[in-house]
Amino acid sequence: MISSFKTTVASAIGGLILLSSAHSSLADELTDRINAGDPIRLGFATAIPWAYPGDDGEPLGFVNALTLVVLEEMGITNYETSVNEWSGLIPGLQADRYDIITGGMYILKSRCENINFTDPIGLFGDAMLVPAGNPQGIHNYQDVIKTGATLVTGAGFNTVEAAKKEGVPENQMMLVAGEVEILAAMNAGRADVAVQTFFGAKEHVEKSDGKYDVTDPADMPEWTQNWVGIGMRKSDPDFLAAFNEAMAKVIGGEKWMAATAPYGYTEFQLPGEDASTEYACANR
Amino acid sequence: MEWRWEFAWEILPRMLWATGNTLLAAGVGYTIAVVLGLVLMLGQRTPYRLINMPVRELVEFVRSTPLLVQLFFVFFVAPQFGIKLSAWTAGMLTIGLHFGTYLSEVYRGALEGVPKSQWEACRALNFTTGYTYRRVILPQAFPIALPGMGNYLVGIFKDTPLLATIGVAELMHTANALGAETYRYLEPYTMVGFIFLIISLPTAMGLRRLEAAVARAQGNTRH
Amino acid sequence: MGYWEFLVEYLPKLANGAVMTVMVMVCATLLAVTVSMVFGLMRLSSHFAIQGAATVYIEFFRGTSLLVQLYWIYYVLPLMGLTLSPFISGVLALGLNFGAYGAEIVRGGIQAVPRGQYEAALALNMSPFSRMRRIIIPQIYTIILPPAANLTVELLKATALVALITVVDLMFVAKQINATTWLSAQVFGTALIIYYAMARFALIPFLRWLELIAARKIGKA
Repeated sequence: MISSFKTTVASAIGGLILLSSAHSSLADELTDRINAGDPIRLGFATAIPWAYPGDDGEPLGFVNALTLVVLEEMGITNYETSVNEWSGLIPGLQADRYDIITGGMYILKSRCENINFTDPIGLFGDAMLVPAGNPQGIHNYQDVIKTGATLVTGAGFNTVEAAKKEGVPENQMMLVAGEVEILAAMNAGRADVAVQTFFGAKEHVEKSDGKYDVTDPADMPEWTQNWVGIGMRKSDPDFLAAFNEAMAKVIGGEKWMAATAPYGYTEFQLPGEDASTEYACANR
Repeated sequence: MEWRWEFAWEILPRMLWATGNTLLAAGVGYTIAVVLGLVLMLGQRTPYRLINMPVRELVEFVRSTPLLVQLFFVFFVAPQFGIKLSAWTAGMLTIGLHFGTYLSEVYRGALEGVPKSQWEACRALNFTTGYTYRRVILPQAFPIALPGMGNYLVGIFKDTPLLATIGVAELMHTANALGAETYRYLEPYTMVGFIFLIISLPTAMGLRRLEAAVARAQGNTRH
Repeated sequence: MGYWEFLVEYLPKLANGAVMTVMVMVCATLLAVTVSMVFGLMRLSSHFAIQGAATVYIEFFRGTSLLVQLYWIYYVLPLMGLTLSPFISGVLALGLNFGAYGAEIVRGGIQAVPRGQYEAALALNMSPFSRMRRIIIPQIYTIILPPAANLTVELLKATALVALITVVDLMFVAKQINATTWLSAQVFGTALIIYYAMARFALIPFLRWLELIAARKIGKA
């Protein structure tokens, strides 16, 4: 009796495994779920103007906006959002808490080892947020080292890696949770200078009534210029391919530009013909 | 995901360094709490309503609202009024005030635990108030206060991870940073848990011993 | 923006967050009460293994920090193949953590019931189970409710931590409003007042009422 029960269970489990593997040989899990009518879940942090939630959690910011344009092209209009701390974005994707990262992530080698990226959606640079008039004359990481200034940035930001590579000592670095906390740290005089994306810094300048300036992104090391992509799980290659295909049709088009314009995205940010995720993954 | 010993070994020095910061934060925060608790307790015991009423309300308010929200309040709001505090200072003051309100209650309970007759006897002997406190009341109140004080020492230690949210570089903050850099969360977070356990268990046991020793020294061997 | 306009615009959103806070609180309390009862009784078991398991559980959850447990459940468990929703993760961490503290209260309460009650029940030939259920447990409510009430207020405060794992509670909404408006004093100040009001004018009166009921039931009112 017991042994026959065991064999039943074993064959049932075996059947399930067979079934699921047969299933996945058709397409990846995400594609299946979307085809079954489930909403796609967008994961992002609060980083104005890249991606941030509206009052009711609706996806705002240009990365979200252009993602929605691509999804619409794919025939997907059903979506949900999940707002996270920046440093929790990749673990959250891996834990299946959402399906794609629309936070506006730079395509970096260390990130490519953990997740997949779509083709680039644009080329962006970082800049320094400094007190108005830039009294210490800080334009890049080397100036930070020279002046001994305290540099604030966000945990999990690309700038942490960049600052380390440029040789900024750990005791001059201050890590906070995200963009909001960066401005708070500057307001409180806890840091002398902040490093973040040029877009993020510009947003903070606008919010601060002239208390801060943003430095010229061209003063930053050339290699810190980065391509941005939408992050996806390694186990969803089919969805990635479909997304790229749809994106190729709409990138730089009228809908794309109209959706992103309110957030300051212009044709200067377009990634260019020769941009490739492969190159970024290998070299950034 | 598998546990990687070599990774754990590699991050251990940074974790231990951060543990030092955690202990420092707990120590400084507790010192502030012990002193503030005393001030708040005295404030509640003064006969002037103009003082004791607001102090009592403040204690009530701080005690029944979340430390996390208080930390954010101080962190974001103080600068808007031109008060520029470092993350450390803001964190220490807030956690010190929060636990200070708990300790003021512990002190109050301890003082009320000393029999009224002791006060009356001192008055009959014409002792000054200061002398009465120093030589008669406090020596008796202290063993009553000790268990509560010990609990909150362990309590403040276990609440220090909240300081990570405003950027104090303690243990949790370091684990977050390591996770963000390496995309490995298993080892950092698990190690934080064990470090807390390793420190708080013996501390709690030591405190229980201390209580017993003080009780014995007071000639109070009932328990 | 004056404070009044701020309230008109943002109070409904904060209130939505507060509703989530209450939901987390209620679910976590129910779990904590169950855990307290189970492990409190296990602690008193004469069986070595049962008592040992309960001791390990209690010391483990009291010895590590709630935030650490929360992050572990939220970030590390998925690596082992178990992904729980943020809400469930939050309720689980709070319930298991506060259950460990509650278990000690339950144990203390049972031990405080006079010895004679056990002996009388024994003399009446009651089974150990019905002795616990019908004689001992009803008496512990009056003993454990005051310390349990303190613990419940602590639990309400601790719910704010679930905002850190993306549960859209009062704290989360406050952080979100702060991020877009920078009206920090208004938003965090209002959040503090809401937490205070929930504790002082809803939770504490409710717990006092429970204490009263318990006292009346046992004829001690």
